[in-house]
Amino acid sequence: MSILAINPGAYYHLESLEGQRYAHYFDKLVRPEELGDIDLSSFDVVLVPCRTPADRMLPHANKLKAYLDQGGTVIATGESDQHLWLPGIRFTPQPTNWWWWLTPGADLGVRIAAPEHSLFQHLGQGDLSWHLHGWFNTPAGAEVLAVNGAGRPILYIDEVTTRGRMVITSLDPFFHHGSHFMPATTRFLDGFLPWMREALDIQKEIA
Amino acid sequence: MSVLFIHSHFGPPPACFNAAVEAGLVTIMRESTLDGGMLAAATGIITTTHLDQVWFARYQAETAHMLERGGRLFFNGHILRPFAEGLENYRPMLSKRLADFRLTQVNPHPVFGDLDPADMMTRKGVAGFYGRGHNPLPRGARVVTGLGPLRLPVDWEWELPGGGVIFSHAGNDLWGQAPEGEAGTPDFAMRIARWAAGEWVKVAA
Repeated sequence: MSILAINPGAYYHLESLEGQRYAHYFDKLVRPEELGDIDLSSFDVVLVPCRTPADRMLPHANKLKAYLDQGGTVIATGESDQHLWLPGIRFTPQPTNWWWWLTPGADLGVRIAAPEHSLFQHLGQGDLSWHLHGWFNTPAGAEVLAVNGAGRPILYIDEVTTRGRMVITSLDPFFHHGSHFMPATTRFLDGFLPWMREALDIQKEIA
Repeated sequence: MSVLFIHSHFGPPPACFNAAVEAGLVTIMRESTLDGGMLAAATGIITTTHLDQVWFARYQAETAHMLERGGRLFFNGHILRPFAEGLENYRPMLSKRLADFRLTQVNPHPVFGDLDPADMMTRKGVAGFYGRGHNPLPRGARVVTGLGPLRLPVDWEWELPGGGVIFSHAGNDLWGQAPEGEAGTPDFAMRIARWAAGEWVKVAA
């Protein structure tokens, strides 16, 4: 048992986390308010889905930091204001262009920045392109996996801020997949969640 | 107590309800500050797509109490934790051809004012924002807006046998669907607030 997912309870969380398509990727679901009673060290990964209200995660910021410092992995997807409850995150929101794809031949500008990374054995560039909510100033040494049209990071892995690993993105696939909207977000999760199992659901390398 | 708008997401509540708040029709409260007693004491409740349904379902008795006193509940989103007897889980649409997104006014409802749901089918020529499925129609409920050729109940109103009324919109928050865009949103929000406060006692069938 090693993947713990936070369930904040909105319909899009329930559909994404409990629905038949992805439920088997999560070993245990907990409410944000239950985090204080959970022994995080028994999980390889703590996943916090899109649009988890930041004020429900803030009370657990120290516990998550301690978990990371023990070598744990936290995945946090977009619109969850990760900068408020995870260490070392600097986020800049950007206006969302919902309509870019209506222009023939338009390109949202998302690019894979590290094509050799194992995640991209599961995902193509088109599986990352629906719209953008913002970008990150990543710390030196972080591995940037995807960038926006201006070359700013939108998906990265930080193994330098703590002794653990943070997989951070401003993309919001759980929200849209759980809303039965935007097929690219389902394709993203179709690739991302198997990668999570393969690459991150292992005994911790740093203990 | 006035109508309770349950503010579920992090960040400011929708500004389109400012006039309803100033008029004393609606009180906006952060979900995490609410308890069962406050839900039971409300005269009406408005929820958003971001509602924590696991939390809300715990207060089925209190919500029922609010309804039994003649209260009204305006629900936006996909029901995945039925919060009243007679409700069932959301059913996403299976076919997604353009015609499947066509909206039909099956019964007029005062929250729409002069708006015709048919005009809300597309935004910038794209269909699919209004709704992509339905919350199953409870026994005795009335379809307000139909989706697709089968007129699936994307919007319905239900006068509960024990008292009270539930309006269900199975999509993003209804006030955001005004065909005029943001210009029409405050009026839409005000009509929803007035309905939740008990105005328009009986809907014309």
